[in-house]
Amino acid sequence: MEDWRRIDIDAFDPEARLRPEDLVPNYGTTITLSELQPKISQLRSLASSGDMSSAIQLATSEPPYSADEQTKHQYFLAVLEALAQTRQTDMAKVVKSLDRAQKDVLVKYIYKGMSLPEGKKQGGILLAWFENLTQDSGVNPIVHYISDRRTV
Amino acid sequence: MLHLKSHNLLIQKTLSEAIEANSNGTPLTLDRIVSDFDYTIFHISNQEGNKTILLLSIKTKAWVSIQKIDANNGLLPYLQSKYQPFAGISVSQSAEPGYDFTLVLDLASLTNESVVESSLLKTAILSFPFQLAFQESFELSKLPAPEDGSSIDSQKLYNIQNRDDEQFFIKASNDRVTVIFETIFQDETDKILGKVFLQEFVDARKRNRSIQSAPQVLVSNEPPLELQSFTSSRNPQNDASRRFITFVLFPRHFQTAELQHMSISQLTLFRNYFHYHIKCSKAYMHSRMRYRVDSFVKVLNRAKLDEDKDGLENDNQSTRRTITGRKMVY
Amino acid sequence: MSQSLRPYLNAVRYSLEAALTLRNFSSQEVERHNRPEVEVPNTSAELLLQPMHVSRNENEQVLIESSVNSVRVSIKVKQADEIEQILVHKFTRFLEQRAEAFQILRREPIQDFSISFLITNKHTETLKTDKLIDFIIEFMEEVDKEISEMKLFLNARARFVAEAYLGEFVY
Repeated sequence: MEDWRRIDIDAFDPEARLRPEDLVPNYGTTITLSELQPKISQLRSLASSGDMSSAIQLATSEPPYSADEQTKHQYFLAVLEALAQTRQTDMAKVVKSLDRAQKDVLVKYIYKGMSLPEGKKQGGILLAWFENLTQDSGVNPIVHYISDRRTV
Repeated sequence: MLHLKSHNLLIQKTLSEAIEANSNGTPLTLDRIVSDFDYTIFHISNQEGNKTILLLSIKTKAWVSIQKIDANNGLLPYLQSKYQPFAGISVSQSAEPGYDFTLVLDLASLTNESVVESSLLKTAILSFPFQLAFQESFELSKLPAPEDGSSIDSQKLYNIQNRDDEQFFIKASNDRVTVIFETIFQDETDKILGKVFLQEFVDARKRNRSIQSAPQVLVSNEPPLELQSFTSSRNPQNDASRRFITFVLFPRHFQTAELQHMSISQLTLFRNYFHYHIKCSKAYMHSRMRYRVDSFVKVLNRAKLDEDKDGLENDNQSTRRTITGRKMVY
Repeated sequence: MSQSLRPYLNAVRYSLEAALTLRNFSSQEVERHNRPEVEVPNTSAELLLQPMHVSRNENEQVLIESSVNSVRVSIKVKQADEIEQILVHKFTRFLEQRAEAFQILRREPIQDFSISFLITNKHTETLKTDKLIDFIIEFMEEVDKEISEMKLFLNARARFVAEAYLGEFVY
């Protein structure tokens, strides 16, 4: 113990440092892809039948926060499809029908979309969604987004 | 400064000064080194013991390869005959040590015309292989043209090595003379800017009707067919940035001596002209970016708080110091 | 401003507005240090916030990474061909060499981006935040314009030079 001055005492304190994992809330259970599959098909059928309002409502309520990355990606692709199929003129109406929590989820999907190659191709549509969202509720959902550790 | 001039202005000036001083009875003592494109160096000096006689010597990269072109050693007689008609110019039989070729100028009898002519010395030397090729083309054109409309090509390929790893070639045919430049780009930017410029050279003739009678220009990354027989000591390191630019001269470009002179003086400056304008574009962009930076800084400065208003409010807050005068760090 | 550019710039503006809420924050790692947390290899995940991607398409995007006391904004400028690539590279290099005049400019862009800005709490305390955002938005607008103008100029000049040279052969 001759070099005691150099001991990193913080290493012995479990609360001194937080790793990214530590910040994610404990969901208890994880949703698997098979559990999510019905929701994805429901989303697809709503989107293809043209009922965009319900499709987006469904997509933005109870997102699979606890799922693993791959499952989240599968779900995201279905959401992106629904977002991309919405006509620009309907967006404002759809956004208005969402409650605050749903708007927070929507902005998460928009940002996620723009960070992935699949979504970058739809950049124009995602930006249109973004614009409608900010026109409706300003900067609030974005502030919620940057501090929320639950990812979609 | 759109076009480069084929004469050397500094030589003209020096010679005019020398003539002026000589006619005033106080000949100048001269020992001047004048440089030109493609590592060409001129040396103007007094003849030993006689200030009214000047020696104009030239040293150029192309000399060695031009001398090799003609087996009969025709270069010196060619230059001699070229300078014969001009008053006050004679060709020195032996070149000044360290130089390739020397002209002896008699200040007393130099005319304006001979001053211009001696400033064209570099072009005169480079014109030798062109003249040979033009001559050959005339001779080939006298032969009966082949039935199938193909052309008769000369067996000779003139190669002029005018820079370290750059050269140009001349090949005569019965209906045209082909001049091929080989050039390398020093850096990536030049290469890409060069590509834009070369593309315009190729397209210019097709687009602009008024210059349709100009020589045809072709550009390639690989040596064109004419050079296939030629094996050279090219530096393989530069192969990626090597470009071949082909000019096809038709008889209308070299029918008379005057046309020949104009074509030759343009072509010998092609490489310089081309690279010069790439550098010019870069310089322009640079000054433009400089201006842009200023305008961006102005936009950013709009974000600055008003100095005095801010200073009054936060004076004691922003400069909190300890008792020893050190700044407080929080 | 073209129709498709407006939503893009608006999205960047809103994202920046949300991100530029910075405070002074002394380092948790090193005594008496105060460093931009977004830049240092961080063992304290709570100091970093969710990154924001705003993309118009694959070639034009902005990444905003925020932390408690600093925000890093990286911009990828449109580069359609190798000429634009060269021009963007030259232009951003030129700016970066003059970074001290810009205060918020980072001397090196982060990977995959053309140019990066680093805004710390010092900047938001001494500069007006909304004007700072204006600057970044204007920068994005002007850079595109500048690059396409330079490209047009280059082509025009090349054309002019080529025609002038070949014009000498018309007798």
